Amino acid sequence: MRIAADIGGTFTDLVYWDETRAQLGITKVATTPANFGDGVIHAFDQAAPEADTVDFFVHGTTIVINALTERKGVVTGLITTQGFRDVLEIGRANRPDIYNMVYQKPPPFVPRYLRREARGRLNYRGEELTPLCHEDVEACAQHLLQEGVEAIAVCFLHSYINPSHELECGALLRELAPGTPITLSHQITQEWREYERSNTAVLNAYVQPIVQHYLASLADDLMAKGIARRSLHVMQSNGGSATFDAGAAFPIHLAESGPVAGVIGAAHIGQLIGEPNVIALDVGGTTAKTSLVQDGTPRITTEYKIEHDRQSAGYPILVPTVDIVEIGAGGGSIAWVDSAGALRVGPRSAGADPGPACYDQGGEDPTVTDANLIAGRINPEYFLGGEISLNVERARAAMKRIADAFSLTVEQAAMGVIRIADSNMMNALKLISVQRGYDPRDFVLVPFGGGGAMHCAAILRELQTRKVVIPNMPGVFSAWGMLMTHLRRDAIRTQVTRTDRVNPHELDHIYQEMCAQAEKELLAQGATTNAIRIERYADMRYWGQEHTVKVPLQNARVDAGALQSLIAAFHDLHEQTYTFRLDTPTELVNYHITAFGRVSTPDIPKVAQESSSLADARKGQRRVCFDTADFQQAEIYERDRLPLQQPIPGPAVIEESSATIVVFPQQTLLRDEYGFIHIQRKET
Amino acid sequence: MTVDRFTLEIIAESLRAGAREMFITYGRTAQSPIIYEVLDMACGLTSVDSELIAEAEGVPGFIGCLSFAVREITDKFEPSSMQPGDIYATNDPYKGGGTHLSDVCLVSPIFHEGQLVAFAANKAHWTEVGGMAPGSWTTDSTEVYQEGIQLPAIQLFDAGEAIPGILDILEANVRLPRMTLGDMYAGIAALRAGERCVRQICAKYGHAALRETIATLLERGEQVARAALAQLPAGTYHSEMWIDDDGLSDEPLFVCVKVLVSADRFLADFTGCAPQAVGPINSTHVGTLVSVREIFKEVLDPDFPNNDGFFRPIEVICPPGTLFSAERPAPTSTYWETGAYVHDLIWQALFPVARGRLPVGHHLSICGTIVSGEDEERGPFVLVEPQAGGWGAAPGRDGQSGLVPAGDGETYIMPVEVCETRYPIVVDQFAFNTEPGGAGRWRGGYGLIRDYRVTAESADLTATFGRFKFPPWGADGGADGSANAIEIFRAGQAEPELRTGKVARLRLATDDIARLITAVGGGYGPAPEREPQAVALDVHNETLSPADAREIYGVALSADGTVDAEQTNVLRQQLQGGDRS
Repeated sequence: MRIAADIGGTFTDLVYWDETRAQLGITKVATTPANFGDGVIHAFDQAAPEADTVDFFVHGTTIVINALTERKGVVTGLITTQGFRDVLEIGRANRPDIYNMVYQKPPPFVPRYLRREARGRLNYRGEELTPLCHEDVEACAQHLLQEGVEAIAVCFLHSYINPSHELECGALLRELAPGTPITLSHQITQEWREYERSNTAVLNAYVQPIVQHYLASLADDLMAKGIARRSLHVMQSNGGSATFDAGAAFPIHLAESGPVAGVIGAAHIGQLIGEPNVIALDVGGTTAKTSLVQDGTPRITTEYKIEHDRQSAGYPILVPTVDIVEIGAGGGSIAWVDSAGALRVGPRSAGADPGPACYDQGGEDPTVTDANLIAGRINPEYFLGGEISLNVERARAAMKRIADAFSLTVEQAAMGVIRIADSNMMNALKLISVQRGYDPRDFVLVPFGGGGAMHCAAILRELQTRKVVIPNMPGVFSAWGMLMTHLRRDAIRTQVTRTDRVNPHELDHIYQEMCAQAEKELLAQGATTNAIRIERYADMRYWGQEHTVKVPLQNARVDAGALQSLIAAFHDLHEQTYTFRLDTPTELVNYHITAFGRVSTPDIPKVAQESSSLADARKGQRRVCFDTADFQQAEIYERDRLPLQQPIPGPAVIEESSATIVVFPQQTLLRDEYGFIHIQRKET
Repeated sequence: MTVDRFTLEIIAESLRAGAREMFITYGRTAQSPIIYEVLDMACGLTSVDSELIAEAEGVPGFIGCLSFAVREITDKFEPSSMQPGDIYATNDPYKGGGTHLSDVCLVSPIFHEGQLVAFAANKAHWTEVGGMAPGSWTTDSTEVYQEGIQLPAIQLFDAGEAIPGILDILEANVRLPRMTLGDMYAGIAALRAGERCVRQICAKYGHAALRETIATLLERGEQVARAALAQLPAGTYHSEMWIDDDGLSDEPLFVCVKVLVSADRFLADFTGCAPQAVGPINSTHVGTLVSVREIFKEVLDPDFPNNDGFFRPIEVICPPGTLFSAERPAPTSTYWETGAYVHDLIWQALFPVARGRLPVGHHLSICGTIVSGEDEERGPFVLVEPQAGGWGAAPGRDGQSGLVPAGDGETYIMPVEVCETRYPIVVDQFAFNTEPGGAGRWRGGYGLIRDYRVTAESADLTATFGRFKFPPWGADGGADGSANAIEIFRAGQAEPELRTGKVARLRLATDDIARLITAVGGGYGPAPEREPQAVALDVHNETLSPADAREIYGVALSADGTVDAEQTNVLRQQLQGGDRS
């Protein structure tokens, strides 16, 4: 049995797959902020699976991101190269909010008095210029312990190419500060850029004791329920899983543990229906998150930052992370009129409390959910499966503010709010696709979360994605996606070399070494040798450029021929992304390998074909605004009763317990053998 | 009106997204580190009447500059004879270029169904445009002819085809042609991204909708600016300053402003400033307009998306031939040092009424640095970079430490590991400059110290660190900050051979060190009023000595580093008593 547990802001979802019965189960319990693990145990108790049959338990946790954003980590010290202790506070010195003269830099997680220096220096080739001074390390350790640090990070210049000084320092610290968790920067990443690497090491150290404690305690509880320790896994930011032990060793890999699961799920949906190019869109209460899957593989970024936006430089984390663009456009996003008299939606959100005006919990601001309700798209009696009854009058009263500002009717204002929200989401989709050199027309949109299915019809029309495919149970899709993960380990190493000067054998050696290391780690996590698959990439650029393009290396071994194909692939990718190619030498910057330890994932069952007809699914009619502010009489269907493989013309609204699907007049929908809803443009 | 309110918002946002896409494309593909790291560039779209409608900028110093470039091109080339695939360029400092020859503007017309609908434009600092010195800008040129190749509004491509010979001229006139032409192709890719976006808008909503959106956006920009202007107390505000020198003589240069604020007008009058200088610190009229736009926006509405409508209330008076309105053939290669004073003058003049949006004075100078030379492994190299420094305090908060100056924005300083890989340099330290300066109730932020030790046989250093003689200003009892400075240590020497604000191609030998020091920002309010706990923390952080804590702040600390309240009272009474005498 496989079990996935995903902790959200309001609910903790648990989804399990029982392969012997070919049965998929869901439980939903309230999230327990005091101790998030309790919610997981509650959900587990409620589902009551046979624990001894559980061979894969995977957990998406927000413990790392919460500890970081709420500053609930431990007192952390940093030891670095002499002359460079201020690097962590200087950062890259940029001012993203460029016209704000009172911009404030994100303060470092380690204050100056806890940043200490040791003599010892390597050059850019990794050659030792000055040996590491042991007396300095001792003095640093003594000082930090006196100041009461609970974790220590170490980052020395050029450790990405030669980690010997960090290793030496680590060995000393284990003697000098026994029991204090030590993070050596090169163990997390062997990429260059000292600020980014220091910050990554510091954040890892900052959360490590907390994560270790959390996972240990959750492991105890789950083992008490009868689950074997080796079955326990956590989701990592790279979209793969790792054992609890591996996760606790370098917890910074878990920063996006929650959100990535939906992307993995969307990739899996694509695989099932034979559409390897997918754009995932998760519309929740406060934000919309979107991510791109190409050829079945989620796009990974190595420029991940937390708390980064137009107003703040944020904190870089040099860990491969599924590339997710997040914008403030969700069901709770508030509509408002700016100083220039323009209608804006978000990023402020009414959240779950007080929630949209229609929740009738004291919220007075008009939100996207209110607009969808006024437009007739949401059934007030069947929101979240009827759990919350919505008050249309409250929604209208709130929306009247917008209507009055533009001398419009409440319905027209509501449609305006919906269109702006749609447009915000489309811009996020463009960011992840067009701006990265991908054409949305080559992709299938997979929307999920509470609001995805309500906004996808407009996106389909505007961005002309191939189609929209809405998974089953879009409300618990993240947990479902987690069931589909494999063990994964990424490794990146910077070594800048011109391709016309590189020796293919040396290159081969580096990749072999990295692969062997990753394989060893996966084996330690329980993968079997023949289930391990490794992908190789090179981050490349034209000589003289700074930014790189990630190029897949097709061959397992590198020789002269493989190198030539790699270079050719780079030219093509550069042109695809940036419209031009140059006749100049190319350069290798980073070597990147991704190792998967494949485990068996559920075979998604097909829907048992019942002889249902469209009439059985019909719930009635309702006046609904689709793509204009005009109401039209529309058919309302119950999703689970829709007949299979039968095209149904829009306009239509399909209701289910966790979402509402809107289909425009020029579109048709179809429920496929898995129960997924496909929306396409009508053939003209 | 045929386009509804919401479609209008969607088109407006798409235009801004288009500008951002241009920007990302340029930054990702450029060859010059100063473009891809420093983001010394702007990308945008203008109307057919060359009015800026959407912009993405990396540095505020380029705000609203593109309209001037497009205007220069359309004044010279008849728009009705333009065709798709045409590309124009200008870097004329005295006209639409507005800055120095290194900043090259590229412009292309955008067509929909055979009709001209908009222009895409960008401007970026290309590392090499030729001239007397590697890296093209220098601190000792005396006429524009020494500063690189001039592109006085020329056509580069005709219907997609390079005009025969033009690229050859470019290639022959620069030191690193691969880099220069690479930057040009990156700039053209960015124009294409902008073109694609506008054409999509036209295809979807029609040309009429685009035209109406543009008109509305410009009108709205003007309304927002006027509404914000009405919030500023009407009156006349003055400021005067001294610029260190022009790089050739040692004479300080006087600059001043009178700002008249009324409900519908923002007039900056620079009458009385020193005449244009012999050295290259001159700024031109367009450069001055752009600097005024910058501070205007920062004070009035930092968040409103830029368009030319927003700048309509601005008027500038500046007699020709001054430091702020230099004329051909005055050299302008370090124009930004002077443009920053346009900005700083108005900043200081408005500080008393713009509190909350402005801190006191900061290190101001971009502290532009070039290290050039040749080594065996790398061949010829040119490092060009700005430095970050200390910002001023504001009521309620200390200044920021190690932040790029107001003229720079989303600009990244170079990582040490990248620097050492790319250049024959070892960085011996990169640390806060915590020397005395900027004391106050709220203290100035710390500057930075960066030591470059040369490992090649030789290298040449060119650098311009303004505010070397006249440090950042404090206010309301806060102390002035410290100075920006360059110090040269010959191999093995403990004392600097030279401490200065500007050098031109100073020869460095193996193991010589160039120490680049940026200023501590100005302080706000009297130092003896600073929270004693904050002073104790500064001491604990080793940015303030216990002696300075006593003497400057009147704070006494016990042996364990905590505040000795009794002693502190005594010290502070003495300090205040001293004030009275």
